[in-house]
Amino acid sequence: MIVSAARLIEDKSVLMVGTQWPIIVSLLAMSLHAPGITICYEGGAVLGKVPDRIPFFTGDPVVNSSSVLMGNSFDTLGMVLHGGRADMALLSGASVDRYGNINTTCVGDYTSPKIRFGGSGGACDFGSLAPRTIIILEHDKRRFPEEVDFITTPGYLKGKDDRIRSGLRASTGPYAVVTTLGLFRFDEKGEMVLRAHNPTASVREVKEGVQWDLKVHKDVGPLDPPSEEELRVLREQVDPGGMYLREARLLKGREVVI
Amino acid sequence: MSKDKKLMPMSEAIDRYVADGDVLYLGGFIQQEPFAAGHEIIRQGKKDLTVSKCAALILVDQLIGAGVVSRLITTFTWNPLPTTAHCFVRAVTKQIPGEVEIEEYSILALNLAYFAGALDLPYVATKTILGSGFDGEQTDSGVKNRLRFETSPFNGERVCLVPPIKHDVGIMQVQRCDPFGNAQAWGMLGEVRYGLQSCDKVIICAEEIVDTDVVMRDPNRTLVPGFRVSAVVEEPWGSHPGPMAGYYDMDWPYHAYYEKETRTEGVFQEFMKKWVYHTRDRKDYLGLLGQERLEALRPENFESDPVSYGKLTSHFGVPYA
Repeated sequence: MIVSAARLIEDKSVLMVGTQWPIIVSLLAMSLHAPGITICYEGGAVLGKVPDRIPFFTGDPVVNSSSVLMGNSFDTLGMVLHGGRADMALLSGASVDRYGNINTTCVGDYTSPKIRFGGSGGACDFGSLAPRTIIILEHDKRRFPEEVDFITTPGYLKGKDDRIRSGLRASTGPYAVVTTLGLFRFDEKGEMVLRAHNPTASVREVKEGVQWDLKVHKDVGPLDPPSEEELRVLREQVDPGGMYLREARLLKGREVVI
Repeated sequence: MSKDKKLMPMSEAIDRYVADGDVLYLGGFIQQEPFAAGHEIIRQGKKDLTVSKCAALILVDQLIGAGVVSRLITTFTWNPLPTTAHCFVRAVTKQIPGEVEIEEYSILALNLAYFAGALDLPYVATKTILGSGFDGEQTDSGVKNRLRFETSPFNGERVCLVPPIKHDVGIMQVQRCDPFGNAQAWGMLGEVRYGLQSCDKVIICAEEIVDTDVVMRDPNRTLVPGFRVSAVVEEPWGSHPGPMAGYYDMDWPYHAYYEKETRTEGVFQEFMKKWVYHTRDRKDYLGLLGQERLEALRPENFESDPVSYGKLTSHFGVPYA
């Protein structure tokens, strides 16, 4: 999933990068085929290099000493993204629906939710304004409802026409969804289509992994597995301590007592 | 320049400038959070506060759990581990310890609201938010915020109108400040410049109190000028367990400990007794952490090269004075 998403990033593009998977995906792309990308975080940072250790989220203090600009949210979300200077946004989410709408707010009705998540942060801004949004999340059927309970981040709403009716610009919207099972793109109506599956997953398995009748592209096929070079760079350069796993950042094994 | 010295202890600053029912802005975008000030607010038993915090982490979670918050203006609330902020979730899903009204935005929309508040603009128009759950006109999501939607008189596009959000009082922890309130901060600044300027009163908590001379040799770094500030509190380590650029790292294991100690209302109350109710001030809190733990959080030095703003004393050889 991390490697497949990184391959979609073109060199020299300007990226708005969200928390979780987007951080490691963008840094892998920067370390491989796209050294000239510009990585922007919602709090006002523009990175100058792959940070000294991998940021656990985009507000991580390690970003302070790895950036060429440390400003305000208006610098990145405002003048880069709203100002039309970003090419792409990378996001994670709790769930994604048939039209690429993302929910990171709640399960159930908003006013009396069964489960409550953190909320938007800048995610709604990314999805509203970016020319191409890539959504990266682990595949689990519960994360792929036909319609999300709350649209934290607008995808194509009920279809591409609906997005344009809402006032969002026609040149913006979801570009791809990358999961642990496959790569999805969107058709002319804004509906998610399976474009390629992971070599270890079948088309049937992916279709069974969403809660609606998933469209499948006529040229669907397996993704190329990660190359040795891609895995080496990921493990040795981007996150050598394996710290992207939560257990590692808590210094497990090295007892820190309170 | 305002020449009133505003240095005072935390207890006095909170007592004098934060009132029950206030709309309270808390600064710090993930870094530079005013934990020490928040704990004092809880100890003083302030009530019925509207807390406005762009990026709400475990300080806001503690304020909610302690029952001092009746309304929360935010864009997200979580434990940055990342994991659930349990008190926030208990309040939203079960109204424990009481009902908290949530007014929710995206980060850019809330920045615009603070900006409009700081400049006293009637509103700001934007193209974000449209069609999302925060667009109450389009989606009927049940969301409560003060956004409105209109057609732009200039190009006919549908636009989101963001109202000004203003605050009675704002609090932020910064790296350094002079006794008059000229506050300097660096690191990730998110919304804080506009957040602080949308407040009637400002309390600055600082790692270090410095001479005005230090401020004047690098005025680009000033976040808020002294005349806007009501109180200055010297409070080293005041953002722990959050980070302060150049002073200390985020205390990740503390965030894991907090997650564990707040899973139920009962254990949360025990946590609060230990770290807030049974501490008199920040010194007591730091005593619980111990000097060794604090030292372990200090970063390696990574100094900027000095810059010169240039001192102008003559022109073409003719002295100014």
